[in-house]
Formats: sequence, C-alpha cells, structure tokens
Amino acid sequence: MADKNGFFDLSKTNLTRRTALKGLAAGAGLAVAPGFVRYSQAQSSAPIKIGFQSHRTGIGAAYGRWYEKTTAAAIKAINDAGGINGRPVEVIIEDDGTDPGRGAEVVGKFATQHKTDIVFGTLFSHVVIGSAPAAGEAKMPYFVVSEGHHVASTKLNRYVFQPGITDVKSQIQSMAPWIAANAGKKVTQIFPDFAFGYDHRDYLPPALKAQGAEVIAQIAIPPTESSFTKYFPQIPAETEVIYHVMVGPAVLTFVKELGEFYGSNRPQLFGFIDSLEATDINSPGLEFLDGSHFWEGSPRYAQPDDSAAQKAYRAAVGIDDNGAAVGDPKDVSTAAHMFGCWETLYVVKKAMEDAGYKGPEDRAKLVEATEALTEFAEGPEHPQGPKTFNGKIHQCFGIQNISKVEGGRLNVVHKTKIEDGLYEPEGDYTTQPL
Amino acid sequence: MSGRTEGGAVERRLRRLALVTPALVILPTPAFAHASDRGHVLLLPTGYYVAGGAFAVAVSFLVLALLPPDALDRFWRRRLPLFTFGDAPRQIISLLSFAGFAILVAAGLFGSRDPLSNPLPLVIWTLLWVGLALLQGLLGDLWSWLNPWYGPWRLAIRLIGRRGDETLQSRLPAWLGCWPAVILFFAFAWFELIDPAPDDPTRLAWAAGLYWLLSFAGMLVFGYPDWSRRGEFLTIFFAMVGRFALLERKEDERSNKGRLSLCWPGAKLLDATPLPSSGIAFLLLALSSVSFDGLSRTFFWLGWFGVNPLEFPGRTAVIGIGSLGLDLTFVLLAAAFMAAIGLGQRLAGSPHSLGHAAGLLVWSIVPIALAYHFAHYLTVLLVDGQYAVAALSDPFALGWNLFGTAGMEIEAGVIAGAGSAWWLWNLQAGVIIAGHMLAVLVAHGLAWRLHPVPARTALSQLPLTVLMIAYTVFGLWLLATPTVG
Repeated sequence: MADKNGFFDLSKTNLTRRTALKGLAAGAGLAVAPGFVRYSQAQSSAPIKIGFQSHRTGIGAAYGRWYEKTTAAAIKAINDAGGINGRPVEVIIEDDGTDPGRGAEVVGKFATQHKTDIVFGTLFSHVVIGSAPAAGEAKMPYFVVSEGHHVASTKLNRYVFQPGITDVKSQIQSMAPWIAANAGKKVTQIFPDFAFGYDHRDYLPPALKAQGAEVIAQIAIPPTESSFTKYFPQIPAETEVIYHVMVGPAVLTFVKELGEFYGSNRPQLFGFIDSLEATDINSPGLEFLDGSHFWEGSPRYAQPDDSAAQKAYRAAVGIDDNGAAVGDPKDVSTAAHMFGCWETLYVVKKAMEDAGYKGPEDRAKLVEATEALTEFAEGPEHPQGPKTFNGKIHQCFGIQNISKVEGGRLNVVHKTKIEDGLYEPEGDYTTQPL
Repeated sequence: MSGRTEGGAVERRLRRLALVTPALVILPTPAFAHASDRGHVLLLPTGYYVAGGAFAVAVSFLVLALLPPDALDRFWRRRLPLFTFGDAPRQIISLLSFAGFAILVAAGLFGSRDPLSNPLPLVIWTLLWVGLALLQGLLGDLWSWLNPWYGPWRLAIRLIGRRGDETLQSRLPAWLGCWPAVILFFAFAWFELIDPAPDDPTRLAWAAGLYWLLSFAGMLVFGYPDWSRRGEFLTIFFAMVGRFALLERKEDERSNKGRLSLCWPGAKLLDATPLPSSGIAFLLLALSSVSFDGLSRTFFWLGWFGVNPLEFPGRTAVIGIGSLGLDLTFVLLAAAFMAAIGLGQRLAGSPHSLGHAAGLLVWSIVPIALAYHFAHYLTVLLVDGQYAVAALSDPFALGWNLFGTAGMEIEAGVIAGAGSAWWLWNLQAGVIIAGHMLAVLVAHGLAWRLHPVPARTALSQLPLTVLMIAYTVFGLWLLATPTVG
C-alpha cells in the first residue's frame, strides 16, 4: 500500500478525515490507530504534530467550524500525498473559546503538554495578540490565519507568521484603484466604532487619495447600536460610493434600513464580505445589496473561470457551488477566509521540507526556512491565487477579488494584482534573536 | 474543580494580559463578529409577540379567575392509568449508568482534546443538562433510574455490611434543609456560565469526577435518600422538573409495583407539599441562572459594563461581571417573587405565613424554568446533540465506530438562515408563553389550596401574575435582542 515514492498511501486505509483531525488522544493517541501503525513501519519517524488553536466555542465558533473543516481537508490531502518529510501529520485541537486569555494558555499546553511541532490556525486577532507572547516565550512557531495587520506590523515576535492569508491593510489598499475607477470618486465610509472599523477608517483614505479619489465623510456607529436610520442623514448628498463594513447581528437591519432610506436611487455600495460571512446573501432584508460590490478573499460562489485547483479545493473541503456545505445548503461557509488554513498548512509543509525539519529541536531552523520563502505559485497548494511572501514581516501578499451581487449570487468582476496591496515594511522580524 | 489546565493559570493570565493590553490598544483588531442567526430574528416583528405573550398570560389569569376552582381541580386530577412495573431493574440500570459515566470521565481525561469530538462535555452539557432535563419535564423522573449513584451505593452498603442504611432515617439536621444542594447548584451554575473553560474535556472530567466522589461520600455518610434529596443538586433539580411531566408513577397497592398513568402537564405539581426556604431558593436559582445565561450575552448587559460585544474579549475577561450578574439575577428574582407572594397574601388577608405560601406557590416556577430551559438551549441541543451522537461512537479518538455514527456529517444548517430563525423563534416564543400560562394555571390551583374562597384565590394571585407577565416579556426580549455569538 505504499505509493511509488515509498510513502504509505492513507487513501487506501481506514483513516477517515474525521479521525485524522479529531484531536490526538492525550497520552495514547495515534500510535494505536490502525492507519498510523504502518506509517511508522514505512518511515522510522513519529508523526508531525500540529497544535490547532481552534475557536471551537465562543464568539468565533461559526468561523472555527469551517476552519476545522478546511484544516481537516488539507491534512487529509497532505497525508494522502505522503505527509511532510515522509511523516504523517496529526492535528491536535485545543479550544481557545475565542478568548485571548485562554489562547495564551492553549499555546502553553501545546508547548509543554502536547509538545507539538508548531501551533496553527488562529483567526480572531485579539486571540492572536493574546497568544503571541506565549508562542515567543516557548519559542514555538505560530502560524496564524487571522487577516489582521498585527503580524505585518512587526509588533508581535519572530515566531509568529501569517503566510496563508493577506492582511487587512493590504486588502483595503488594493480595493482603492477599482473603487476610484469604477464606483466613484467621493466616498463616505460607515464603520463600527472600534478597532475593526478603524482599520478601514485609517487605511482607505490615503489609498483612495493616491488614486485621485477622496473620503468625504466617515460615520462611526457605536458597536451596540441596532437601529441605524438616524445616522443616514449624515451621509453627504454628493456621495458617490458608500463604503460599509458593519459587522455583528444587526448587519441585516443596517442593510434593510439603508435600503428604506434610499429606495431605488442610491449611491454605489461597496463592502467587505466580513459583514456577511457565513450568512446567505439571499436572506430577507439583504435585497438592497443587489448590484453592490464586495471584497472577497476567496470567492464564495463557484466562478465560470475557476481553476482546476480551486475546484479540487472546494470539493475537498466540501462546499457546493453556492459556497455552502455539500448536503447542507443552509450551512454557508466562511469561504472568503478559510482557504487561508489550507494554504498555510502547505507553507508549513514547504518550510519543514526546506529546513529538513526533524522535531522540536529544529524549530529555529523552521523559522528561518519560513522567512526564506519568497513566493507561492497558484496551484493545488495555493488555490486562491499566487502569492509573494515577505520574510522580514512574516506576511504574504496576494490577489483580492471584487464581486458583484447579481441574481442572488456573488460574481467576481475584478481580481486585483499582488502589487496593488504592497506597502512599505514597518519593521524586520529577522533582526530579532531566535 | 481544578484540572491540569489550571495551576496558577489565573495569575499567569493576568500577567500576560497586562503585557498584552498595550498591544491591544495600539494595534487595530479586525473582528469577525458573525452576522449570526440572531440577525434574522432582529428583522422579525418580535414586538408583536412580546405584546401578544403578555396579553395571553394576563387573559389566562382572568379566565381562571372566572372559572370555579374546584371544577378546574377535578379536571386536573384526572389520570389515565397505563401499566405497572417494579423497581427491580433500577439498581442494574444505575450501575450501567455509572459504568457509562466512568467511561466518559476516562474519555475526558484521555480522549480527544476537542470539546466537539470528546463525548464528555457533549454528554454532560448537551445530553444531560439539556436533553435529559427536557425529557424529565415530559416523561417524569427518569433520573431516579439513570443516576450513577444509586446502584454503586446499594452495592457499597451491602459490601460493607450496612444494609440498614437503606431504610435509614435522616442524619442531616433538619435546619440544614437542602442548603448543601443550593450551594452545590450555585457552584455548578458558576462553572457552566462563568468559568473560562467548562467545555475543556480534562477540566470537566476532574470537575464531574470529583463531584461524583463528593456525592458518593455524602450518600455513604448520610444515606442515599437523605443526601440525594438534600445535597445532590442534580437529583433535586431533575425531581423538581419531573413534577411537570405528563406521566405519573405511583405505588399500586395490589401489585406492590409502580403504576404509570398519563396526566395533564403540571398536574403533579398540584399535590406538592410546601418547600422550605432552601427549596424556594433552589427553584428560583434554577430559573435565575438560565435567565442570566441569556442576559449575559445581550448587547444590553455587555454595554452596561463597557464591553464591546462585537469584539467580545472572551470568558476570562468577564468573570467578575459574570459572577456579579449571576448573584444579582438570583437576588432580584427572589426579591420580586417574595414581594409578589407577600403582597398577594396581604391582599387576600391570608392566615398563612409568607414562608408557607411562598413554599407552595414556588412550584409554579417549574413550568417557567422548563420553558426557559427549552427556549434557551434549543439550538445547542439541535447542533451539539449531533456532535454528541458522533463522538459517542469513538469516545477515545482511537478511530472506533461503535454505533456507526463516527463519520456522520454535522448539519449545522439546521439552525441557520432566515427560515430556521423564523421557526426557531416561533417555537421558542410559543414555549415561553405557554410555560408562563401554565405557571399561572398551576399557581391558581395551588392558591386555591391556601384560599378556598374563589375571590381571595384570584386576589392573592394578582401580584404573582404581574410578575409572570413581566417575566414573559423579559424571556421574549432575551430571545429577540442582539446578542454575542
């Protein structure tokens, strides 16, 4: 049952996707699982252990579920193809409760109790920021899939990487050329009045200015607000584009009330799909979004020009043409973000192979090997698109999608260039000691 | 209650948070607050339901006031006898249940670290605390058969030659009431609602295992009957909600077995004896803790403490306000309940003491507590129940498939989208309203025992009815208002 490279082929064993990911049993574990016995016979080495810091409960659970599914699919694909350096890969899930305090604790458990090779998979930025010091302290490579600018800001530490998803600064900046050229030159921003909104408040105006457009008003909405009509009179009459990034349960109300305020005669609308991630775009109340545009990291809906790699990725993760779970059409995925788990795991694989990684004693070598990476070609390992990687700021850069809501689906109308999202590095992690 | 996840964890956490806080202030923090299914509910005309619910509860009070109470009482006491069965299998079932519990604790310690793959948290929090509580409310006291103490206790007292303990009279002083159970129930509620990681399999295995040992020791020292009625909070909780059930089992004199009969929901509550002050506290805590769980997630509550719900800082950051809220909800509910009873007694010119009246009328809280339990945990039951079924097939994450469910796909979509939000909301709102209407009915029946004059019965219930209308509005608002997650 070994393949032509001498690797054991997991696809022919009874190791299901679920058992690959269920989390290693403490102590006992996969040494006694049927699928892995022969692995250890085929190769002398033990499995590579990846600690998955997962939002299984708490505010991030809806995302966490899809991050888990994507991770399971990627691990199965990697193991089916022979694992990493000829060794099988195991994932140990620890729930962080989407809680920064627990996040740090979980990183500590991975380091001292489970002795994983790396920690991976964190989405929520406050958990990343809360956990990063623990990763640095334990000298534990920490691969996050968070989209925040915190890694690239170089304010974390040398052990933290974000190689599988672009950061929000790059995303916002790369929207500006298209908005200025296609939607309008006078932009009003509506955003929630906290850090998430401030990214958009701070990064968009200079990017638009560089394109000859301008932000003419910025309307910050208190996070606990659930009725929005009273804010709409603040939108200047000459507004050509409303740039909105509302999040939370009141988003549907926001869209509905905006629709009631404007009727059929509205400015262009541009938003980030973060507002409606895991939410059906055809939900009642969202009718007003028809014809508007959204940023998407990876498209939710299957596109006519999808690459073979994109199709294979979607099939492996188990999402249908509408971006919902196969067999459960109401379970809409977090497609715009979760591809980052898949791509990050392939970056880890590449870096471990480059480093000749053997075990926790090689963690520093793994950090250096990751920093030495420069680009990732589009393909089965990077189905979202090609990327470059800046080893000094531990951040990848890639293409973004701009999609139009048409006929109840999101159709990609523009793909940005990698260069649209590049910015001057704000520091250099490689100068920090390992 | 400390698992190996702790060990100075709080101090470390505080130190780390102190280090991290400046970074949090400096760095922009993208949040991914999910639009969530509550978003769909926000678009429903929930205000009409709130008004309609309050109206329905008020009308049911008025209708009851006009009906002759004895007619209602006769109707309510009807039974449809089914069949008889003995207690013989009880010890075996309890021993099996204990074996299952021991396996689950072992799974918590040695199985998957993922709380959605490890069967222990799923069984305790979803199948037991939600599923069994609702089944008890429907079918009656299953727990007296299923609890993991009775069988081992019988075995133990036979082994140590103390068979006399089976008929032992109380060893606990009377003044203690069931206060030990109230305290343990409060600790349980705190662990469920406030502790940072009640789902962590290891932590829960320690908590559940130690609680089993503590209760078993209590039963050996004070006798099973006494400790299970006054110290073991699960038995008390389940027995209380079981009083609402549609099935009744009573001793059949001819066959010396239990005869099962069908009865109206809540009918068994009418025969209840007045609870002592500790029993009143226990029942009110059952309702207030679930109410607080709902309240603690609302934008309203978090906004009060300056916590941004869209960037919810996690359970470790709200331990203080959570502990405060859990206490405060209980104190407010208890004060409102006692005030309503006291005022009602005064209006009716009652000869009964406040404690006696409150101890009897507090039984009317049972349908409300059950309704809250259902409405509050319905979505958890629908999704985590599936995870539980899958996890039970492979309790130790060894690739087993004991029941053929290990690889089943979890359909999270069952609670997702506008359509689900609509029927879930209607179901939840309907149960909340029906629960309060039944509570008014039960309270009316109990009040008739205190005041056999119809006009006085109605008068004594006026303040309690106002409280129930208010609680209907509160319950529906909890389900309709913006919440975290």
